[in-house]
Amino acid sequence: MNYKYINSMLSKMDEDLSTKGMTRRDAMKLAGLSGASFMMGGSSLQAMEKDEKPISKSGVDAKIVIVGGGLAGMSTAARLTLNLKNPDITVIEPNKESVSYQPGQTLVAAGIWDANDISYKRDDFVPEGTKIIEDKVIDFDPMNNQVTTAKGQVIDYDYLIVATGLQLDFERIEGLEHAGRAYSTGDNSRLHKAIGEDSGICSIYTAEGATKTWEQMQKYIEKAKNAKNGEKVQFLFTHPGTPIKCGGAPKKIMYLTNARLKEAGARKNAELTMYPNGGTMFGIPEYHDAILEQFKREDFKWHYRHNLVGVEIENKIAIFDSQWQEKGPFDPVMKDFEVISKHEKIRVPYDFLHITPDAVAPREVAESDIGSAGGWVPVNKETLQHIKFKNVFSLGDIAQVPMGKTGGSVRKQYKVLVENLISHMEGKPLTSKYDGYTVCPLITDIGTVMLAEFDWSVRPTPSFPLDPLVERWVFWLMKVYALKPMTMYGMLSGKA
Amino acid sequence: MRKIILCALVAGTTLMAADGAAVYKPGVLLPANGEAIYKLSCVQCHGADGKQTTDTGLSRIVYKPINGLDAASLAKELKDYRYGSVNKYGYGPLMKSTLVDLSYEEIDALAEYISTNIK
Repeated sequence: MNYKYINSMLSKMDEDLSTKGMTRRDAMKLAGLSGASFMMGGSSLQAMEKDEKPISKSGVDAKIVIVGGGLAGMSTAARLTLNLKNPDITVIEPNKESVSYQPGQTLVAAGIWDANDISYKRDDFVPEGTKIIEDKVIDFDPMNNQVTTAKGQVIDYDYLIVATGLQLDFERIEGLEHAGRAYSTGDNSRLHKAIGEDSGICSIYTAEGATKTWEQMQKYIEKAKNAKNGEKVQFLFTHPGTPIKCGGAPKKIMYLTNARLKEAGARKNAELTMYPNGGTMFGIPEYHDAILEQFKREDFKWHYRHNLVGVEIENKIAIFDSQWQEKGPFDPVMKDFEVISKHEKIRVPYDFLHITPDAVAPREVAESDIGSAGGWVPVNKETLQHIKFKNVFSLGDIAQVPMGKTGGSVRKQYKVLVENLISHMEGKPLTSKYDGYTVCPLITDIGTVMLAEFDWSVRPTPSFPLDPLVERWVFWLMKVYALKPMTMYGMLSGKA
Repeated sequence: MRKIILCALVAGTTLMAADGAAVYKPGVLLPANGEAIYKLSCVQCHGADGKQTTDTGLSRIVYKPINGLDAASLAKELKDYRYGSVNKYGYGPLMKSTLVDLSYEEIDALAEYISTNIK
């Protein structure tokens, strides 16, 4: 455990609190909770300490291969190590910074953190005894229990865990074809070359992009500050038609841009518009209503059913595919009017354009035997076991699990997966079930967060005894100070 | 812990040496390799020299020679094929299905390879 890090975060938090005339204890009381349990999201440091030696470790011997060493893969490796007597675990991961803290990218993009705050080295988080193979799997052969890597290694396994994550499909957007596909971390120079150094286009979906978003944001806030004669600087935000990593992020960056504009006194010279592909703000009706109220309060504009299909970087034009329905001719059989779907391309000029790219499964997974038509790895959504290959499990962004593409989901999934994998190895039925829990700390301003928690019941499932629809400063404190240590030192050690 | 990681990395390297040659697959974000793509996807029709003619006895297929084409214009044409805006000699759909998984970077590398190596 790295207490030094947690302590330094806590003292930073105290500083922030004291400016508001509060102590940490007051803040905890405000949350209706006691000290450490709030900091660690329910499991206190002491409890984690006691947890060091689990009561019973399974004695089954088997070679477990984990493809992908991000948050999901590494946390699973750590928890397996804690629960097996003789763990034989191999993680295949080409990226040296695979465990970087992605939820922090929004905060980097708003200038609250900087790039160093979210960059973490894979090799510092490898559980003892776990083998790391720095290579990329390009072929899955589940019939023969083998995977092949780009360097030509053929690796056998008894049990396979697929946690490759997803790819950001920028090349689908006309005008950005040469951007290619990207991962959140790693070398994304090709993407940024395609977007241009100073084009007003940005995306917080890559770590490098988050830093660039902050540069661009400052520039256009400055422009808004100096705008005259009622000129409005246009800030556009998109949300694509595919499932995406952290569904709240496209809005968080909008709220944070708004906060920075207000801070600069330039809000009246700016127009912020959201273009979601869908017809709602959020999949959960309660949160949808709450967000709509926030949009009205902050004087945001929004246009539903607009999908970003192209950009003209030279002319600063975003091209959206706009869809709508019209009343058609009367159908005498149905005794009603027909509904005709229509769509057209519309061109919208922008100054600042934040792109949330389509998310796709990596081709090597999608087109292999373990993939599916939609690309994602088809698993039983509750047990996380592959529907065809019983010795294959999957979790994280790549698993075909509804609403599951967040770190908060992984935090529940990896425990379920480890329990079920061990049951399966011991020949017992799989009893642990994932309930679809996911969490979105929706940043609505610098200093307030609405903690949207929900599961497959499609209703708010709050962890705290507080109204889940209220934006709170205390959840801001949690997002900015507590969630990172919990993720980096709790989850990645297999405990929280 | 660091020692263990180091050991694991070393073990990984020896394993790699034993297994031998690297394999290439387009469209999976590996560094673009024009030669590998040509041998994987193009050579069946266009041949090693870029001017293949296939005669099965029943049918005779003549492909347009692609040897020595200019890299830049070839890359542009391949990109047009990829997005389906070109359909020469009725091969548009086939070319599109072959190219659809390649990134722009890989198409550039492929065009470069054809123009410099297929004479």
